[in-house]
Amino acid sequence: MANGSVLDLSTETDGDTTVVIPTGRIDGSTASPFQEALLKLIEDGKGSLVVDFENIEYISSAGLRVLLMAAKQLQAGGRKIVLCAMRDHIAEVFKISGFSEILAIHPTRQDAINAG
Amino acid sequence: MPDELETTIAEVVSSSAGGPIKILVVDDEVDLEALVLQKFRRRIRRNELAFDFAHNGKEAMARLDEDDDIAMVISDINMPVMDGLALLKQLNETKPNIRSVIVSAYGDMNNIRTAMNRGAFDFVTKPIDFTDLEITIDKTLKHLALVREALSNRDQLVALSHELDVARDMQASVLPRSFPATDRYKTHGLMIPAKEVGGDFYDFFTLGEDKLGVAIGDVSGKGIPAALFMMACRTLLRSRALEGGAPDQCLGYVNDVLSEDNENCMFVTLFYGVLDTASGVFNYCNGGHNPPRVVHGDGEVAALPTTRDVALGVLPGHGFNHDSLQLQAEDTLFLYTDGVTEAEGPGSEEFGEERLDDLLGRIDQADCAEVTSRVLDHVREFAGENPQSDDITCVALRYHGH
Repeated sequence: MANGSVLDLSTETDGDTTVVIPTGRIDGSTASPFQEALLKLIEDGKGSLVVDFENIEYISSAGLRVLLMAAKQLQAGGRKIVLCAMRDHIAEVFKISGFSEILAIHPTRQDAINAG
Repeated sequence: MPDELETTIAEVVSSSAGGPIKILVVDDEVDLEALVLQKFRRRIRRNELAFDFAHNGKEAMARLDEDDDIAMVISDINMPVMDGLALLKQLNETKPNIRSVIVSAYGDMNNIRTAMNRGAFDFVTKPIDFTDLEITIDKTLKHLALVREALSNRDQLVALSHELDVARDMQASVLPRSFPATDRYKTHGLMIPAKEVGGDFYDFFTLGEDKLGVAIGDVSGKGIPAALFMMACRTLLRSRALEGGAPDQCLGYVNDVLSEDNENCMFVTLFYGVLDTASGVFNYCNGGHNPPRVVHGDGEVAALPTTRDVALGVLPGHGFNHDSLQLQAEDTLFLYTDGVTEAEGPGSEEFGEERLDDLLGRIDQADCAEVTSRVLDHVREFAGENPQSDDITCVALRYHGH
């Protein structure tokens, strides 16, 4: 049940780049805290934002919407969002929705940091 | 009363909007009035309690009709005009929010039982022990405070479910009420909303003599915002489609309008295709939606190649692509939303595309309504007890040839 979904966040920094590592599911019930957390990180940081998907099992359209908002927010300040380390079925969601065309996605965290 | 339900009288008082709790005492012995006012004088002075008096059941009902603030009734049984048991019966029927405590002769079990059966909350015995009465009053008021809290929670729930109803009605109102069919093709569609309504929709457009448009979409998010976005999308698509716009032009137009001032970054995955029923050519554009399937007459299933486009609402000015497919007689197109493939079964496993394709490969010329309902049945059977977390939409279109 969506209500029981859990999403934990940990963050690291690499120079000006903020790396956020969410763990769990990004769906209807976790999208809103996820959004708040990302917007706060964007506000507090000054460089690019890397979202590491290594520990993400599922992302719904509500989660994609949050990433789009974050991308918009960052772009407004001349900054970038870079995604990385997606499992195949997560990558498929980005591919089908076409968001892989508008969001930068890299295979590893280091690639993402380098690209940021 | 269990400990966790303990509420101090102060909390009860504060829950009644600051004023004292009003108690109506019903007894034909007028001496009681002075006694009650004297025994409870401190709490009356502290504005915690207020007392009103009536001398029989009829007078009590009249007082209750006049004053909606009375929360509790303490009533004697034997009184002229209307006795306490008759009063209880009327209270039970007409004023269910009022709690009553009955005063009876010691050991009068028959009347006490009748009173309890008629909804009395508690009883005290004569001669009245005022310490006991005070405990009973407090117990009753605590109970009332809990009931009020539960009622206010319920009202919030009702308001919330009303919002869900609105979204559900909006969604249902835009779905096609009939399924276009000619000797060249048959169609069917179904949409089962999740408890928290998402923004799925589908549509058919008959375009002139030889063309049929079919669309399916899924809006990000849930509830009224999703339903509103869905309605805007559906109306925009319909207007451009009925003008005869090609799928890529239609999606380009819808995308540009939806992208304007889209602060919340809502988006819709939208597939739109037009079948030329004379030639069997199906021309389509896929804006980020799950690829529909074509099921050939021999049971072979294939996903329609994507047009490498993006969901609508996020990239203004995006130029959409199109692709086309030659349908053979008795080919079936099956369109769906991710509520089908992402339905969770045992151990959080998803229904998935493999199960869907396997099922579609075995439809064996079942008619379109049978195809959509069979998919739904399988998804439901797979999900078992798991709640449906997303709308489920299935659309089938069978081409019979020309």
